[in-house]
Amino acid sequence: MAYRVMIVDDSPSMRAFVRRVIDLSGFQVDTCLNAGNGAQGLALLEHQAVDIILTDINMPEMNGEEFLRRLEEHDQYRAIPVVVISTDATQNRMQRMIQLGAKGYISKPFSPEALRGELERVLGVSHA
Amino acid sequence: MPDTVVAESLAAAAADVLETMFFSSVIGEAPVSATPPADAVAARLRFSGARSGAFGLRLTEGAARVIAANFLAEETDEPTKPQVQEVVCELTNMMCGSVLSRLDRGAHFDLEQPAMVDAAAVAEPEAVSREFDIGDGEIAIFLSMDAKS
Repeated sequence: MAYRVMIVDDSPSMRAFVRRVIDLSGFQVDTCLNAGNGAQGLALLEHQAVDIILTDINMPEMNGEEFLRRLEEHDQYRAIPVVVISTDATQNRMQRMIQLGAKGYISKPFSPEALRGELERVLGVSHA
Repeated sequence: MPDTVVAESLAAAAADVLETMFFSSVIGEAPVSATPPADAVAARLRFSGARSGAFGLRLTEGAARVIAANFLAEETDEPTKPQVQEVVCELTNMMCGSVLSRLDRGAHFDLEQPAMVDAAAVAEPEAVSREFDIGDGEIAIFLSMDAKS
């Protein structure tokens, strides 16, 4: 099965890198949407559905925490699993993002295998 | 915290981040040069939390270009200067996070956005530093803690 993915990060290079790592991991992508912050992500969701969202935390205009809050407030978007990608590997940060609604968390640096494992875990699918 | 512990963490973080995210390897240690090469690029950020201080990276132009190309998967086109700078800032952010999590596992830190700086001014005088040969150039890493940290 191929998934519709949204990558939210203010760095175009990081978005491209995450997409590349997803491809390297073998995780099947149907479509991939890119957003530079949470507000852009929400705007894209008005027009196109996705199966999973990967988001950075520190972003201008709307950061990852506010993005998660907005998703949780929305009847339809609440069901979309979100994986947070961050340089912060602390339990404090991870727990905070999970409390805000994130279903997964992966800290940089990460391998393609680790990213795929986390995506599949939150989607509830097993490795083919 | 002893400088030797910080220096070991700098080395471990450099190897881990470069290999995992930038498809580059540390080949060996290089002497930290007091005067950076004229073409060197550098980025720096400040952090706060369990400890506060500054973290900086300085790369020779060749190293910066190869790391940017690896990160961006640019096989035919040379990365542009803005792309190189963006990737150097990403590398600074990731490496700082990796170093701090090794020094204080479980502690919380806030990292400011990295910014490009003059290569000659990237390091505080009291910073602990390491410099590595990555084949296509050299990368120097600097970490300084504020007095109360």
